[in-house]
Amino acid sequence: MTASSPWRGALPRLAGGLALILLPLVVSNQYHLHLASLIGAFWILVAGLNLVVGYTGQLSVGHVGLLAIGSYTFAILAGKHGWDPILTTVVAGLVCGLCGFLVGLPSLRLPEFYFAMSTLAFGLIVTELAVARTELTGGGVGLPAPFFPGPLGTPSGFYWLILAAAGLVTWLTWNVTRFMWGRSLVAIRDSPVAAASVGVPVFRAKLTVFVFSGVTAGVAGALFSSLQSYITPDTFHFELSLFFFVSIIIGGRGSILGPFVGTAVLTALPELVAPLAKLGTFFYGLLLLLVVLLVPEGVGRLVQRVIAALRPPVVEHHAIRPDLDRLRAALRAGARR
Amino acid sequence: MLIVLVTGLAIGSLYAMMGLVYNVMYSTSKVLSMTTGHLAMLGAVFGAWFMGGLGWPIWLGLPAAAAVGAAFGLLTDVVAIRRVITRSNEHLWLLSTLAVATMVQQAVGLWWGTEPRPFPRLVPQDPAGALDQKYWLPIVLVLLMAAGLGLFYRKTMFGKVFVAMSEDAFAARARGIATNRVRAMSYVISGALGAVAGFATGQLTYAFFAVGTLLTLNGFVALAVGGLGSNMGALVGGWALGIISMVASHYFGGEYQQTIAIGLLMLALLVRPQGIFGTRQVRAV
Amino acid sequence: MAKRFFGISPLVCLTTLAAGLLAGAPAQAQQPIKIGWLSSLTGPLSSAAIAENQGVQFAVEEINKAGGVLGRKIELITRDTASDPTKSVNFAQQLAFSEKVDFIIGPVNSGEALPAIPVIARAGIPNLIIGTLDELTDAQKYPRAFRVINTNTQWITGAQGYALDVLKRRKVALFGDTTGYGTATQRQAASFLEKAGIKPAYQVLLDPNKADLTDDMNKAKAAGADVIMPWSAATGLLARILNARGDMKWDVPVVGHPAVMALPIKKLLTKPEYWDNVYAAGYKSTTYDASGKVPQRTQALVDAIRPKLGGEIDFTFWWVALGYDCVHVIAHAVKTGGSTDPAALQKALETTPYAGVYGNYRWSATNHNGFPDGDIVVNRANSFKEGSFAIAPGAR
Repeated sequence: MTASSPWRGALPRLAGGLALILLPLVVSNQYHLHLASLIGAFWILVAGLNLVVGYTGQLSVGHVGLLAIGSYTFAILAGKHGWDPILTTVVAGLVCGLCGFLVGLPSLRLPEFYFAMSTLAFGLIVTELAVARTELTGGGVGLPAPFFPGPLGTPSGFYWLILAAAGLVTWLTWNVTRFMWGRSLVAIRDSPVAAASVGVPVFRAKLTVFVFSGVTAGVAGALFSSLQSYITPDTFHFELSLFFFVSIIIGGRGSILGPFVGTAVLTALPELVAPLAKLGTFFYGLLLLLVVLLVPEGVGRLVQRVIAALRPPVVEHHAIRPDLDRLRAALRAGARR
Repeated sequence: MLIVLVTGLAIGSLYAMMGLVYNVMYSTSKVLSMTTGHLAMLGAVFGAWFMGGLGWPIWLGLPAAAAVGAAFGLLTDVVAIRRVITRSNEHLWLLSTLAVATMVQQAVGLWWGTEPRPFPRLVPQDPAGALDQKYWLPIVLVLLMAAGLGLFYRKTMFGKVFVAMSEDAFAARARGIATNRVRAMSYVISGALGAVAGFATGQLTYAFFAVGTLLTLNGFVALAVGGLGSNMGALVGGWALGIISMVASHYFGGEYQQTIAIGLLMLALLVRPQGIFGTRQVRAV
Repeated sequence: MAKRFFGISPLVCLTTLAAGLLAGAPAQAQQPIKIGWLSSLTGPLSSAAIAENQGVQFAVEEINKAGGVLGRKIELITRDTASDPTKSVNFAQQLAFSEKVDFIIGPVNSGEALPAIPVIARAGIPNLIIGTLDELTDAQKYPRAFRVINTNTQWITGAQGYALDVLKRRKVALFGDTTGYGTATQRQAASFLEKAGIKPAYQVLLDPNKADLTDDMNKAKAAGADVIMPWSAATGLLARILNARGDMKWDVPVVGHPAVMALPIKKLLTKPEYWDNVYAAGYKSTTYDASGKVPQRTQALVDAIRPKLGGEIDFTFWWVALGYDCVHVIAHAVKTGGSTDPAALQKALETTPYAGVYGNYRWSATNHNGFPDGDIVVNRANSFKEGSFAIAPGAR
């Protein structure tokens, strides 16, 4: 495990971070900045969901419901009641964490497909309620979501805010996956029975991760609604859930960078390549199928493998040199006996 | 109130048929396919196209629609199941069937259009209120389908092979059963059944590209409540779901229809996770 | 292993963004007038957008063939939003900041227009609104957004006036669907009825794909309703209302949303006569007069565009007329304003009226709903012929 020294690869990582921070100074086009902010907001959700889907192997296809709750919390508290947007973002995270707890508590006990279907139903129910509870959500007309105050309200300021939040969430998930917790999550994904038999608290671990993903979905929802500036129930359709889910699977389960690249590429690609926009969701389906059939570990792992193949193999020289002195001493000792 | 129950029963029969389709696929592959609801969508859309668009008579349109479903079932097996199922138990099948389901829905949307289109009447009958064919067709069909599947499992060689595979696929394989071929067969049968189900309910759902996802969900809820693997369970669960959602809509309007129906049934699932007619699986290892 | 892969992240990000920057580089060679067209050509609710697109395309071709506006050709940049609000906001930004368009038409559906219009307004780009939800226009907040289509208010008052004053009905059954647009419109209709001193005899919101509405129609009948007013754009739902009404042999008039007159409804009906006694808000421009003729301007457009549509017009023609007018309103504004300067365009639209095929628009500095009340009429659904309708009996 020589490769896991914490400083290895720090330079490109630092450069990457710096490039992301300096992005608004380089990119003058507000549309590209908007796209980058959108990717950031989605990534905050996907980073949390990645722990659920990619690491723990719980296939949640209903996170759009949590995103919607976060967005509406923000639009209602910060927009209608004039709360401080930063505080509201935190509150949205907490509210969605609670929702995640309430949803996860029963449904995480269910087997795979049952769990996937419960989350699907949850997503549908949230949108249905968003339309029905007009006095709260504005019904079909929806709600305007306020901007953040002062410099955070400008496109670059808001981008930096999202970047900071995304960086924090990424750092948190990265820490989780590096240490014992992350290992136990992977163990749950690969074999729940084996995990339980070596003392991993399976249900508690699953629930904790799911609640965490709820918190990130809430924060993402708050930022997303401010970015969109207006939210309606139509925004939170099932395909969006599918999009998050596919980003993770395509990027690669059990990795952080893979899903990030997945989110970025899947968000940007239909914008830049018009024919793909026409195919829309069909394209997501096709990508998902190809990845599952050809590289079930995700495109990220494939890239990784290619890089590993291109890199000159590290040959470690372990010269086998007998320690003749000790051998002689031992032989002598044996002979004496 | 009669019409509420009849409508609920008819829609519930569609859910129950989806449950049966799940069961057929599950018996040989232990896979719950996300494409299940889309089979009914294909049946309705192609039925409408063959009969309404091309003007074929029912004795040609019905088998043709069933054939489309069967072909799609086979395609699902070849593309999404065969390659994936042999790899560890990572539940990759959920992803691959989800991918196929998404693609077929979008493809049909692009080709057929996103507006619902009419489905022709199948039996010469004047509109007859609660006794209309759009209600009794699915109700009769689900009973026929359940009875037929029962006979098939109990009386035919092929059916017994299915049962053997669902009991223990390894043992069946050891006794010389070509499990791959049997599984493909079960997907063909389920495809045809799903398409026929959609065909029979076409007058209720119209030929609409987007009904699949909701049918996948509702058919599964019906089956989960009734008990996975049990055809009786699919029937009871489907009817319960259909009637509850119609009654909910009757008393509370359409705004909370989903929430009430699915919420209630999820609750039932938490109380009895194996379903009404299901058997608890104790073997986790 | 995952960590080593982390090293190439900046490369990937930068490449993605660089590709984005290159793709967005504008080419300003001969300075055409750039019109962005946010259309939902795929996805749900695409049929109206597809028809409008026919009109938009045709108008652009026609103007360019005649030499353009002020000698400048029109360049149409179409973006398919698939009715997804997130996509429509993205594409609105793309058109505004990357393509640097002079004008934006759309988005088509109210649900996607609600978030997109503020974005376009902030970019300061003139915008033609073709969604009907009243909340979409605001001369203060969005000073450069002008509505070409009518408002929901105009549709509802038109239909309601016919039901209450001409048909003399008082017991209204109000139907809506559970989509965003359906609930909003049904609530608005309810508040208008209240203003007229009427409490709906029956009121319900329905799932647009609910398989059967016999029960709901029975309840409406039991509540003593003598007119059904459906406010929904969902074809399936409207057809099911009419089928349930026909099957139970209830001869109650249906007066409501124009979608109830669209041809796909006719195809979904069990019997053709179920379309009788159905009326909806429509337009003077697509209404046959006593001698069986549509207004001359409409007829000219029908004749000109017919070959393009394959010789047969099998959808509501006002969609085409609306799309056609949008482009001509832009041409009119550019000609009047003398340039594509946004402030000049705004002033041109606020001060000069424009007589189009679909309507005679008149915007002002305070009112950005240019479609006149007088151009709304009530049509009889089963008179559908070549995209136009006959006027409802007794209607003005």
